[in-house]
Amino acid sequence: MISLQHLTKRFGTQTAVDALSFDVPSGQIVGFLGPNGAGKSTTLKMLTGMIEPSEGTATVCGFDLRRDTLEVKRRIGFVPESGAVFESLTGLEYLEMVAALYGIPEDAARARIHQFITFFDLGFDTLTDKLLGAYSKGMRRKVVITAALLHNPPVVFFDEPLDGLDANAAVGFKALIQTLAREGKTIVYSSHILDVVERVCDRVIIIDKGRLLVDGRPDELVAARGTGTLESLFTQLTGGTELRQRAEDFAKTFRT
Amino acid sequence: MNAPAATPPPLPESGQALSPEKALRRLFLTLFLRGRGARGMRKERAPKSVGTKLAFTLLFYALFGLMAFVFSNQPVFALSLYLHAMTLMFLGMFVAASAGEVLFNQEEADILMHRPITPRALLWAKIAVLVQISLWLAGAFNLVGLCVGVAAKDGGWLFPVAHAISTVVEALFCTGCVVMIYQLCLRWFGRERLEGLMTMAQVFMAIAVILASQMVPHLMARFAGKIHFNLDAWWVWLLPPAWFAGFDDAIAGRGTPVSWVLGGLGLLVTTAVLWSAFGKLAGDYETGLRMLNESKAAPVGQQAGRRWFGRLVNAPPLRWWLNDPVTRASFLLTAVYLVRDRDVKLRMYPGLAPMLMMPLIFLIQDRGREGGAFGVAFAGTYLGLVPLLGLNLLQYSQHWQASDVFRAAPMPGPAPLCHGARHAILVLLTAPVLVFYGLVAWLAGVEFSRLALLLPGLIALPIFALMPSMKGKSVPLSMPIDEAKSAGRGLHMIGVMLISAALSGLAMWSWTSGWFVWLLLIELLIAFGLYQVMRRSLDSVRWTSLE
Repeated sequence: MISLQHLTKRFGTQTAVDALSFDVPSGQIVGFLGPNGAGKSTTLKMLTGMIEPSEGTATVCGFDLRRDTLEVKRRIGFVPESGAVFESLTGLEYLEMVAALYGIPEDAARARIHQFITFFDLGFDTLTDKLLGAYSKGMRRKVVITAALLHNPPVVFFDEPLDGLDANAAVGFKALIQTLAREGKTIVYSSHILDVVERVCDRVIIIDKGRLLVDGRPDELVAARGTGTLESLFTQLTGGTELRQRAEDFAKTFRT
Repeated sequence: MNAPAATPPPLPESGQALSPEKALRRLFLTLFLRGRGARGMRKERAPKSVGTKLAFTLLFYALFGLMAFVFSNQPVFALSLYLHAMTLMFLGMFVAASAGEVLFNQEEADILMHRPITPRALLWAKIAVLVQISLWLAGAFNLVGLCVGVAAKDGGWLFPVAHAISTVVEALFCTGCVVMIYQLCLRWFGRERLEGLMTMAQVFMAIAVILASQMVPHLMARFAGKIHFNLDAWWVWLLPPAWFAGFDDAIAGRGTPVSWVLGGLGLLVTTAVLWSAFGKLAGDYETGLRMLNESKAAPVGQQAGRRWFGRLVNAPPLRWWLNDPVTRASFLLTAVYLVRDRDVKLRMYPGLAPMLMMPLIFLIQDRGREGGAFGVAFAGTYLGLVPLLGLNLLQYSQHWQASDVFRAAPMPGPAPLCHGARHAILVLLTAPVLVFYGLVAWLAGVEFSRLALLLPGLIALPIFALMPSMKGKSVPLSMPIDEAKSAGRGLHMIGVMLISAALSGLAMWSWTSGWFVWLLLIELLIAFGLYQVMRRSLDSVRWTSLE
């Protein structure tokens, strides 16, 4: 469903993503992990056609990312980390606008929006009366997630999707993406909340400085390295092993 | 939250879908009317208030259009030349001021760039909205002119039709030119320098429009309603208002061969501009949009700029002036945003530049006249506009929510922050403008002794600079950008212009009648007293509750 071959992105002399290659079959939830600045968001932006790769290729649903960008975009949903929306539209206006961009008939769009607001407990009045700028962070995130799934895409990219969601909404969302994957959707899930990734994802890819570090099932990776948890594995791989000692040393500086 | 639903069923194929192009046009029109960021705005009032402002703006344009009655006994060409010149100036100002925000909006990239739409479709939708609003403004201004044209000397019932067509073409020409300038900047100077170029392009476009508008009275006086083209007036062929006036004259006026050629030239040039802007150069727009998605490390130049500011603040005389640490931090924050932040730069410099052209025009017009004094006095008093407008515009930022840190800090009120911002505007904007005016005055041959006429303005400057901060307003970068669309600011500006003109007149009178030194002394006393009162009032302001 998704295939990357030596995908590379350079900004001037800095290499953000360095010859990344992997495949993701349909129906899989892949946790895409890495420390800050590892190149996760840049990779997702390349895979969603937002920025152009410097080198390498990628295909999504069989379509070449460079050649058939629009076909790729028709088949993906994306929840960006920023959670940006047009704040001076109401929730309904925003979702109807997004639906129109995918050519969804107005009646069908409205019915689908109803399904989502029921699922997310948004309330139709909120959606029609309030400008998005007046929404809480969690409510805005629900609208962004709805906008990403509205056209029923076979591939969905989530970049920190739980940011701002309350505990109940987060539980519901995790169950939703597992159900969506069982229905055959391919999900790429980028997050720093590693215990969620460990529980939800079938497979984990960890990158650092734009390069692939490990790729495999979370339980197998943890067992092979003997780290006990995905969090320990992550800190071991990305140079965070002395964090506790560093934190203690740093805390001592407050004593004066 | 309810139990997770199964995957939604595939969407039905039947039914009427709104086309993506229409959805985008609707989106950009709504965003333009309501503003882009509604966070922090009172949501019930936000759309309505913008609508009311638009209605007032259209009414203002329509009232200004009454000036067309002056041309009621003139030939079609004279009336048309006036209408097209003024329309081009208004539209040029509007499109130049709006294009940067409309064409290249960073947040928009995260929302739209992964959707199945081409950059060209985005460009067309944005242009359609710019043209649509341009036509509203042009329509309001030309409303009276259309009726006057029917009764013009050689006019008739065809005039409204011809003029409506030529105004639409003019709006397309104007929008196409602005878009083409952006795209040429992208092509020639590269996408890395896009952000700086956008500010420069807007500043130059605004200045060009203001200067070009100064030609209208000269044109009217020179041709008195008739087209006399000869070797001395070859440059008239280069003026777009003359092309479109020629079109009107060809269809609804005398229809001379010259007017047909002028009208044809207008259509030809507009076609070429549209072809270049939306066809040939559209690829550069796509590049520019993608560039907005690419985050990268700060260029070396910006890092060097930071060090430069640090050195400036830590060296005398600023080190003595900014002895309060909060004021110094606010000065640095303001300075950095004035140099680095795209959003602030796009609002600040294109907003200030056209305002500052007025004294230049006076200074240049004074050239050769004996003494050339009024321009100098006017330039001095007009300087007050820089801190007034600058501090007012500096309140607004996309990062306004970060200003919560000011309230969280152990400060009883916003005064030190306002002082820092005020000092930054005075040092970084006002002082260079003063030097520039002085240089222009010197080049225009003003006697050195008459530069003393700058003093009344300079004495009043601290008062003008404190005015925006009264009651604790003008805390830098603390308000959402859509509240920047304030009709009240325009009234303030008009007030300052009137005060400037009155003070300049007083300075001139005292200069010629030998009372100038007395004027300075009295003004100095009043300004000192007023400054102390205002300063104490500002220092006593406490934070108000955030609602």
